[in-house]
Amino acid sequence: MSNSKEIKQKVNGPASIVDKLRFLNNQIVYLVLVIIVIGVAASVLNQNFLTLRNLLNIMQQISTLGILTMCMALLMISGGLDISIGNMTGLLAIIFARMLLTGKSIFLSVIVVLLLGLVFGFINGVIIAKSKVTPLIITLGMNYVFLGIALIVGGGRPQAITGQFQFLGQAKIGGIVPVAIIIFLLIFIFSFLLRKYTKYGRRLNAIGGNPLAAYLSGINVDLHIISIYALSGLIVGFTSLILISRLGMVQADVGANFALQALAAAIIGGITFEGGKGSLVGAFFGVLLLGILSNALNIVGVSSFTQTIVLGAIIVVATVISNIGKMRR
Amino acid sequence: MENKTLEKEKILDVKNISKEFPGVKALNNFNFDLYKGEVHGLIGENGAGKSTFIKLLSGAFQPNIGEITISGETHKYLTPHVARRLGIQTVYQEDILVPGISAAENIFLGTELIDSKKFFVSYRTMTDQANTLAEQMGITLKVDEIYERLSPSDQQFVKILKALAQKPKVLILDEPTQAFNVKDIGLVIEMVKRISKEGVGVIYIAHDLEEIIEVADRITVLRDGRAINTHDKKLEKYQPDDLAKEMIGRPVDLFFKKKESPVGDYIFEVRDLKIKESAKPISFRVREGEILGVAGLKGAGRSEIARAIFGAYRKLGGKIFYKGKNITPSNPIQAVKSGIALLTESKKVDGLFMGLPVDHNITVVGIDSIGKLFLSLGKERKLCNEYVNKLNIKTPSLNKEIRFLSGGNQQKVVIAKWLFKGVNILIVDEPTHGIDVNAKTEVYELFTELAASGKSIIMISSEMPELISLSDRIIIIRNYEISKVLEKNEINEENILSGFMGGN
Ligand SMILES: Nc1ncnc2c1ncn2[C@@H]1O[C@H](COP(=O)(O)OP(=O)(O)OP(=O)(O)O)[C@@H](O)[C@H]1O
Ligand SMILES: [Mg+2]
Repeated sequence: MSNSKEIKQKVNGPASIVDKLRFLNNQIVYLVLVIIVIGVAASVLNQNFLTLRNLLNIMQQISTLGILTMCMALLMISGGLDISIGNMTGLLAIIFARMLLTGKSIFLSVIVVLLLGLVFGFINGVIIAKSKVTPLIITLGMNYVFLGIALIVGGGRPQAITGQFQFLGQAKIGGIVPVAIIIFLLIFIFSFLLRKYTKYGRRLNAIGGNPLAAYLSGINVDLHIISIYALSGLIVGFTSLILISRLGMVQADVGANFALQALAAAIIGGITFEGGKGSLVGAFFGVLLLGILSNALNIVGVSSFTQTIVLGAIIVVATVISNIGKMRR
Repeated sequence: MENKTLEKEKILDVKNISKEFPGVKALNNFNFDLYKGEVHGLIGENGAGKSTFIKLLSGAFQPNIGEITISGETHKYLTPHVARRLGIQTVYQEDILVPGISAAENIFLGTELIDSKKFFVSYRTMTDQANTLAEQMGITLKVDEIYERLSPSDQQFVKILKALAQKPKVLILDEPTQAFNVKDIGLVIEMVKRISKEGVGVIYIAHDLEEIIEVADRITVLRDGRAINTHDKKLEKYQPDDLAKEMIGRPVDLFFKKKESPVGDYIFEVRDLKIKESAKPISFRVREGEILGVAGLKGAGRSEIARAIFGAYRKLGGKIFYKGKNITPSNPIQAVKSGIALLTESKKVDGLFMGLPVDHNITVVGIDSIGKLFLSLGKERKLCNEYVNKLNIKTPSLNKEIRFLSGGNQQKVVIAKWLFKGVNILIVDEPTHGIDVNAKTEVYELFTELAASGKSIIMISSEMPELISLSDRIIIIRNYEISKVLEKNEINEENILSGFMGGN
């Protein structure tokens, strides 16, 4: 590719265990291996795991989390983070339900929800870019704001839209492939292209890597930060539509755990808090791992309490492994 | 220097050491030894392996093969802890001290010198001891001043004193004079000689060949990870040319002779720029194709002025014009749009994206030229390779994260970043800091070429030869004011130095 010298075999020496584990640094290879191992184990234990139906089922189950993970990954790559996307999803879903229930057209409701998502993200972005306060604190606060508004709008009661607006969450193309999966994949491809092949993505990367150097390189840092939060908000809008369409009924706190799960998936996929690092393909496999694992554990009959422990342990193991390169300088 | 032969006791012996990184053999069968009380210089091109070697000694890296014998103990590798125990102390270039506490506190941070039986630290004792240490080394230092308020050269002294407080047997200094003004470099050299007289073995890395010849008893030349030669001051006489030839592998001309090209009309003007209340406003003009040198002592305000012109430092007043048009930028975004570039001094902090690969670092500003909606990665790679070859940037591949490159090669990438963008006015702040002799010549040629093609360069520099050989005119800054302007025929060392002092 370039004028690189040949990479020679490592000579013998005090190669420590850290050295030997270094190939694991390519987190994606590692993730795929783990996914395959889990898949093989699950299909040995239960015939039903490796069926098209079950695999599509897994994909459908992770589609909302997957989309939110793309938001989180894009934000983290730009050096940010949004803990409020979970309750933002809940709020938008409640607003959508209220609009339908009060007789607004589906078209108008969809437009309003998407626009509001954009505005919510924009507000987060403006506060973070202008105040320079760490995004964790800001979005943690906004997380409660969104939950509070959702409780008020829904009067604290579940909102059901039974029988209406089923396309996004329940329809299947050709009677086989759920629409939600298609949307997830489209958003994944969009994020991937945005990150890797556009100037905008490159600049986000640079800002995540070193905001001061980005500023002194003439990049409009604030504009990029605000716009990526706004874009993320818009995508959260889509997520909320898929969610309510699938569930038919939502409560204000439906998304309470979403943000942390998305964060976990991104980290498992190799995205770091450092910014500028990791790939969206990794994040994609991170979500996939979570989905397959939880499905496999379900099929094998592990309780949901134990599953929670497993999820936590995986996050810890994944971050430690991704840090191996840094343990020895 | 005289009676070194009497105490020819080897304190460090490094045998057949190799260190490989993915894609590079940073050290290849390298041998090195150090006697008690000597200064052993280490020179080599950017990426030759100097820093890698000292990191092996300080325990930051571990070698693949070879052995290190120190004070009679032989080790296959060292850890930071073992290195410290054996008496190895390293002064790195990167700042590792605590900015908000006093010099004395920094010096004794984490040492046994502070009475460990007492719970409370006695600031009196600490200050006294710091003063004694400074006196022994023949320097005057306000030891109770807050570290970050000290001048860059005093900060460097604090770093060296901190290492000395550990009573090392081996002291490693990586480019210790970079923070110094010309006239203070002598102080460091004196200090280093004094340290070695006390029986400490000093390993001294520098890019300035005259400096290293002056300070070192022996000099080892490193090229591509191998020891090419070791010279001994007592046995032979050697000149910078000889060393440079061994470093590069062919004869090099150390005296850069600029090819003169015609300069055009005035195109860039700074009018009544004021960034400090008490200072007179600054006004100067730059012609098309001109290289304007900006001389001055560290702390005279040159970097701040450069940043203010670039819109990255608060202005109290003043306007900037390009071709008669008022373009006064209020932030770097506008500056870059108007074709101004600023190559900052502290590249690691504000010039580079350490975690991003080489190619992304090069194209970050000029990204518009590699695609409209979608980037053409192939084109990007091709263009980047051109710059890598042109500037002779040493990297195993374009995908390598920039933090894995040697210091000098990182500096070249920052230069490549702005060249890739293509600008009208290039402001460079200490552009050849940390760059080897050969690469310096390459950078000078590039600047000359740029000027010949009609670009204007404003070059802040503390290096006399660089200022003198490249500048068409020089302005000298003192206390945030222009103290003197030298036309081409007035440029010489005495005039520049007298400008520093405020003489006319
Ligand atoms: N951590 C690392 N990982 C991979 N490669 C590295 C690492 N550190 C150094 N290298 C490579 O090893 C080689 C030697 O680098 P080193 O920093 O020792 O050079 P140097 O002689 O100190 O140069 P300079 O004068 O520019 O500071 C370079 O090619 C560099 O890219
Ligand atoms: Mg170095």
